[in-house]
Amino acid sequence: MLVLKNVSKTYDKKKKVVDNISLEINKGEIIGFIGPNGAGKTTTIKMITGIIAPTEGSIEINGMDISKTPIEAKKNFTFVPDHPTIFDAIKGIDYLNFIADMYEVSIKDRRERIEKFTKAFQIYDALPQTVSSYSHGMRQKLLISGALLPNPNLFILDEPLVGLDPHSARILKDLMKEHCEKGGTIFFSSHGLEVVENLCDRVAIIHKGKLIACDVLENIKKSKDITLEEVFLEMTKDE
Amino acid sequence: MNKLIALTKIQVNDFLSKYTQYLNVKNKWLRILALVLPALLILPALQLVTKMYDAFSSMGFPELTITYMYIGNVMMMFFAGIPFIISVFFYSKDLKFLASLPVKNDTIVFSKLATVYIYLLTIGCFFFGTSVIIYSTREGFQLLSFITGLIALFLSPLLPMILSALIIIPFMSFISRGKKRNMMVVAGNLLLLAAIIYLQTVLVSVEMEPEVLDSILLQEDGLLKFIGRSFPPSIWLTKMVQGSVINGGFFILLNIAFIFALKLVCHLLYSRSLLAFNQEGGALVEKGKIYYKARSKTIQMIKRHIGIIFSNPIFLLNTVLNMLIPILMFAMMSFTGELTSGIFTSPMLAPYIIYIYAATITTPAIIGSLSATVITREGKAFWETKVLPISTVDNIRYRIYATLVLSFAGSIIIAIAGAIYLPVTYTMMIMAIVFCICGTLFFSTVDIIINIERPTLNWTSPTAAVKNNLNVMLALLIRVVIGGGLYLLYLMMPNFSANTIILIGSIAFLILYVVVNYFVFGRYKEKFNNIIP
Repeated sequence: MLVLKNVSKTYDKKKKVVDNISLEINKGEIIGFIGPNGAGKTTTIKMITGIIAPTEGSIEINGMDISKTPIEAKKNFTFVPDHPTIFDAIKGIDYLNFIADMYEVSIKDRRERIEKFTKAFQIYDALPQTVSSYSHGMRQKLLISGALLPNPNLFILDEPLVGLDPHSARILKDLMKEHCEKGGTIFFSSHGLEVVENLCDRVAIIHKGKLIACDVLENIKKSKDITLEEVFLEMTKDE
Repeated sequence: MNKLIALTKIQVNDFLSKYTQYLNVKNKWLRILALVLPALLILPALQLVTKMYDAFSSMGFPELTITYMYIGNVMMMFFAGIPFIISVFFYSKDLKFLASLPVKNDTIVFSKLATVYIYLLTIGCFFFGTSVIIYSTREGFQLLSFITGLIALFLSPLLPMILSALIIIPFMSFISRGKKRNMMVVAGNLLLLAAIIYLQTVLVSVEMEPEVLDSILLQEDGLLKFIGRSFPPSIWLTKMVQGSVINGGFFILLNIAFIFALKLVCHLLYSRSLLAFNQEGGALVEKGKIYYKARSKTIQMIKRHIGIIFSNPIFLLNTVLNMLIPILMFAMMSFTGELTSGIFTSPMLAPYIIYIYAATITTPAIIGSLSATVITREGKAFWETKVLPISTVDNIRYRIYATLVLSFAGSIIIAIAGAIYLPVTYTMMIMAIVFCICGTLFFSTVDIIINIERPTLNWTSPTAAVKNNLNVMLALLIRVVIGGGLYLLYLMMPNFSANTIILIGSIAFLILYVVVNYFVFGRYKEKFNNIIP
């Protein structure tokens, strides 16, 4: 579903933020992408989503290169960024209809899905209100609902749990699991190692721009007595 | 005092960084040149001031150049200062941060006004600054006039700025109550500006009887007192530049008095207006129905880009003012009797009517320069369209379409109003409309190149997105060059009819549009993709 081949990103021809990352994610998988602050997580996600172009390497989504066939590639995924900054002078329902139009979701499907996701996140009644009146958490929930609306093959989230209350965080985790059970794929970054530990099929760890591990949790931990947090701290420890 | 300096430094740095950010020029000299280029706009100011100086000098009163330019400067600063003050005080994103700092209220108010001061001083440099230089150098360099002129220049923004702040801050807290706050802010400010222009026009225009003129000319400083009667500080300022210590003292004392007056009411302005306004914002809730309706991508994207303007009173006020300025000025001048329809039926003006009509209806595209800030206005929400399944070409095109929709809407209103007042024939109208369409297409497309080159997405106050922005200056520069080119065309073809020249101008715009279109959707497509949100 998602293939990164020797992807690098260099700013100003000097600063290498992402260094030769290769990664392959299969259909139906949930992959957790973890790393310390400034490790290159958000830059990698921005390259995958086409927000910025890689300096080297290629990124394929469902067989389509994001640089060569961006529209076809973008039809396969939706994205929730680490900050819920959207054009906020419109109503919540306007935003969802906007996203539905962009991904050509039928009236029947959009009605069904909007009701399902927004009721689950308890923002349905707030949809006729302008987004500017929403709290941080409500905006985050609106963005997640919008991203799930086209039923994407690949669902990409950058720090999705930041700003969500425990109830909403649980709902999101359930929706992520449900999405994968139906054949969808999820790639998300997080600092919440417990969430990654409980939710993911595989974990990718990035440190100083390099992918230092990408495997199933058991192989990364090597022992049942050790937590992901301990492994992570050991692996990303500066010499 | 240290806190005031530190806070002012941050505010000014933030303000200036938006101007110099994203120059995208590595070479130091080219960088300086890119910054200095907009200063070329001083050329029309230089021409105007020189002509005015010559006229007053022939009457024996060259100092009146200073008086006239100062009064004009104050009017302009009022006009430009009000939206700017609203932007930095009421729609700035840093108030939450500033309000939590352990500093006095007046420190916050004064530090914010520091940016307004710099903005107004820049405006003042163009016309008033030029008049100071011309006056003190034309008849040989006069050091005293030059120094006092510079003092006057640096003091010139204070009175209009403080007066604007004292009017607008309580005014905003009054008009911003209720659900339709944004609409009220725009409408209220348009009315306020109209009232200011009206007041100024009424004060300046006086029926001049010959015997009144004679008595004015017989008095010492009669003409100066007459011109400056609507704004007495202009008399003190003029005499200060002429070397009068007493008048200089009056002028400086007046400015100091205004600063103290502002300091006295700072607490009230801050607590009753500024904080009150920002607390009101939290209750902005609109009720409506949940609907499910499909629209085309084009409609949705154009709606989004226009919505960004309409959602922010500063963007909207700026757009409306720029686009409808000819109508506003015309209405004011007609209302005060300065302008009558008879002027336009004068045979002297007949050959130029089509030029006036064509230029006036193209004003929204000429002054608006909306494409030059179309990406910047989106700010941090720019990422949204980058992840959508739309091509880069469409992503750029929708932005240009939004500019075209607004520019043409403004042009239609002006075209109707102009057709009522100006004696234009159907042929003239068609020629002018073709000119307007070609000109609007070109300006709306060429401006987006500027924004792709300089996409400032992080701004604190909305004015930084649409005004305090080198983009707008560069767009203006393009217009000066194009205007010069068209004027040259006019001079080179003295035997051609006005209609033919307008037609040639339209064809020139069309050719330029095709060329610019090729670059925007070619080379600049790649640059657009490289903008990092």
